[in-house]
Amino acid sequence: MATEFAVVGKRLPRFEGNEKVTGEARYIADITLPGVIQGKILRSPYPHARILNIDTSRARRLPGVRGVVTAQDTLKRRWGAFQQDQPVLAIDKVRYVGEEVAAVAAVDEETALEALSLIDVEYEELPPVFDPEAAMEPDAPLVHEDKERNIAMRINVERGDVAQAFAHAHCVVEEAFQSTLHWHAAIETIGSVAHFSGGKLTLWMNTQTLFMARHRVAWAMGLREGDVRIIQSAVGGGFGGKSCDDNNAMVCALLAMKTGRPVRIINEREEEFLAGSRPRVPMKVYIKMGFRRDGLILAKELRIIADNGAYTGKAAGILSVAALRHDTCYKFENVKTDAYLVYTNKIPTGAFRGFGNPSIEFALEQALDMGAEKLGLDPVAVARLNAAEPGYVSPHGNRVGSCELKKCIDEAARLIGWEEKQKHKVLGRGLGVGCTAHVSGKRHFGDYDGGSALIKVNEDGKVYIWSGEGEIGQGTNTVLCQIAAEELGVPIEDVEISTADTDLTPYCHGAYASRLTYIAGNAVKAAAAEAKRQLLEVAGESLEANPQDLEIQGGRIYVQGAPEGRSTTVAEAAYSRLFRRGGAPIVGFGSFDPDSQLSDQNRYGNESGAYNFACQAAEVAVDTETGQVKVLSYVSVADCGTVVNPVGAEGQLEGSIAQGLGYALAEGLTMEEGRPLNPNFHDYKILTMADMPPFQRDFVPSYEPTGPFGAKGLGELGMDPVAAVIANAINDAVGVRITTLPITPEKVLKALREKGKTG
Amino acid sequence: MKRLITLTVNDQEYQLEVPAYRLLVDVLREDLELTGTKEGCGIGVCGACTVLLDGKLVSSCLTLAAKADGSRITTIEGLGKNGALHPLQRSFIEHGGFQCGFCTPGQIITAKALLDINHNPTEEEVKEWMSGNLCRCTGYYKILESILAVARA
Repeated sequence: MATEFAVVGKRLPRFEGNEKVTGEARYIADITLPGVIQGKILRSPYPHARILNIDTSRARRLPGVRGVVTAQDTLKRRWGAFQQDQPVLAIDKVRYVGEEVAAVAAVDEETALEALSLIDVEYEELPPVFDPEAAMEPDAPLVHEDKERNIAMRINVERGDVAQAFAHAHCVVEEAFQSTLHWHAAIETIGSVAHFSGGKLTLWMNTQTLFMARHRVAWAMGLREGDVRIIQSAVGGGFGGKSCDDNNAMVCALLAMKTGRPVRIINEREEEFLAGSRPRVPMKVYIKMGFRRDGLILAKELRIIADNGAYTGKAAGILSVAALRHDTCYKFENVKTDAYLVYTNKIPTGAFRGFGNPSIEFALEQALDMGAEKLGLDPVAVARLNAAEPGYVSPHGNRVGSCELKKCIDEAARLIGWEEKQKHKVLGRGLGVGCTAHVSGKRHFGDYDGGSALIKVNEDGKVYIWSGEGEIGQGTNTVLCQIAAEELGVPIEDVEISTADTDLTPYCHGAYASRLTYIAGNAVKAAAAEAKRQLLEVAGESLEANPQDLEIQGGRIYVQGAPEGRSTTVAEAAYSRLFRRGGAPIVGFGSFDPDSQLSDQNRYGNESGAYNFACQAAEVAVDTETGQVKVLSYVSVADCGTVVNPVGAEGQLEGSIAQGLGYALAEGLTMEEGRPLNPNFHDYKILTMADMPPFQRDFVPSYEPTGPFGAKGLGELGMDPVAAVIANAINDAVGVRITTLPITPEKVLKALREKGKTG
Repeated sequence: MKRLITLTVNDQEYQLEVPAYRLLVDVLREDLELTGTKEGCGIGVCGACTVLLDGKLVSSCLTLAAKADGSRITTIEGLGKNGALHPLQRSFIEHGGFQCGFCTPGQIITAKALLDINHNPTEEEVKEWMSGNLCRCTGYYKILESILAVARA
């Protein structure tokens, strides 16, 4: 269907390309205001300690210091996305290494740092707890005194008859898996610039969710939401880590309000690791899966212990995804999940591309592989047999519309050369496969998952979109411009889009849950349709034609089917509608809220308006002497409906693989007593250009009827199954199953040695 | 203790009085307001702050401004002539060689240094050369494509 489109589906360059390649784009650290002063945060050195006293008098006396704040200067309100448990500055006790205890604002960074060293905090150390399973023991220290056994949340769901289904299973596999902390490691750290004047707080943030940030900041600071304005700077990578679950903006706002001066706080890289972006939720997953002889999944039982860290943030939503989402990827009937989110004295965990899927799929996709192996079946065939199809309704109520997962599986197998390579096995080499299902927006912040946009058509024909969703590097603005241009029938060069700004744009949830192409795209399309209606009404007057009979192409308006006949232009129509007695500008408003459901008390409900699918495959070589795993080739095939911008879409799959392979094979920090030992880019190794394997990606033909021009979400899909795909390939290569992340050479070697002993 | 230094940045000469400990990245970004150079890690690992100092790549977050006294420096703002983009800049746009764009100035400067000394590098040479510039968005494939397209043009 894509061939019908003039703009959608074209390999167009990025909207903001010029400013990014010239260094002109203004990231948060590039934003300055007259008289801006520097904020710095004093952080807890202990994982768990009572604060007995904080003496700030010496810091206050230091020349150049404009303000020093502690919890006493706050309203002591706790805040958070799902559970309000996090203070702005630690109240009475600290719960993790890096937690914000006090902050200063000073004329320059050196003075601010010196002032921090002059704050005297008296702590009484408390016994910490780091392992979530240990934290659930009755005698474990409590991270929050009111949370019994440190449990922040529990999801306990059974659908179908699991015991009966297991009884009928021809084969049952059982294993325990452990995923790990995984940092976003965006090259730009989190930062804020705050200014409080005339009762209004203006915050420049590199956030991906402006309106949610506004809501949280307003609550914590005791301001009306309308008295907080958040303006998005250019964002140097988000991936979930910049969705305002941390305290950077809170402390910055507090200092600006206390000092009356504009304040800037940019996280140092070490701070980003200690208390900045909230890393991926590590999960211990006990899984049991039962299969029919032909590989059909009959039953699944999960027990998940998820590490919340010290405060809840988004981990509550992530737990529900881990507990339930995968049942949308394959056809399940009998499933049982008992999932716990548990407080520990570590950095709060949270949203990272995949939102629970990568953590759980590391276990689930390996369990499926184990079943295939045990049954002597081809894992590709097993995935295909169980794959979701259009019309499938998951046991938790997710209603699958468009779904080309089987095509994704076939294409991934073809691209990696599955059949051929399985026939001609090479010693030490192996193939792995894995699938995923993701959402296009998720209804979980109240019963609204919509989006809105405004479009004006200037008197010269130039189209301007107001959107508050926000560009974070993923290419949303380009996609939204393409959708507007397509709907209006104007050249893409004539379309421009605003910076996200809570004062100037309609409410938008922002960039998470792979929602923008689908939800913001539909909102922009609706706004463009309304602007077009207004344009055609005016054009109908001048062309003496019924507006319904008119169409717009390339900015020209003419009677349908008669492009050579009488015509006018978008510019002329916009001009003539404004410059007349009683005139008005062309402004279209559009809104969209998908047909999804907020899950009920029993966790039942269709969480998203559309589901996206992917299959990935890898070939690896394992060196049995060293345990080194070399990825020989990787394939990622997605069903994201219509591809609006192929360059951007390919980029999403490519970037996901780099993060996914890092998660699978390399990324992690050694923790000692709750403190990451080397929180820097030397020791937290993200992949480099030289590390990237040969990679093929493809999009299967697909059309989502409820999406804008058939499109749905894509951003997170490519990240989800990578670690499992690699683990499955390693098992195929050398017959060892690695159950903990990351898959280091040491672990592979150890597994090979154990296998040698037993086998 | 302050030092008087002379820097020629993007063909323009500046005389500056800087503390002995002041880093080149701060002088560029704050004193000269050339904010195209970015700071990502502060320890010379990520490459976002890369500039050319007398034609050689340096991490400006590790370089003392005083140490650069008398040198010629090229930053991202110095690429392209008379308002036209440098071929690498055009290629990064055309091939989608960036997403968030934060590492992009460093990537382009580093690629320029390679093409200045090696007009037709192999794919492996590009990968090796560029491996000091981290990117978290692109998976590097389109950065590689952008650079190779210029090399092969």
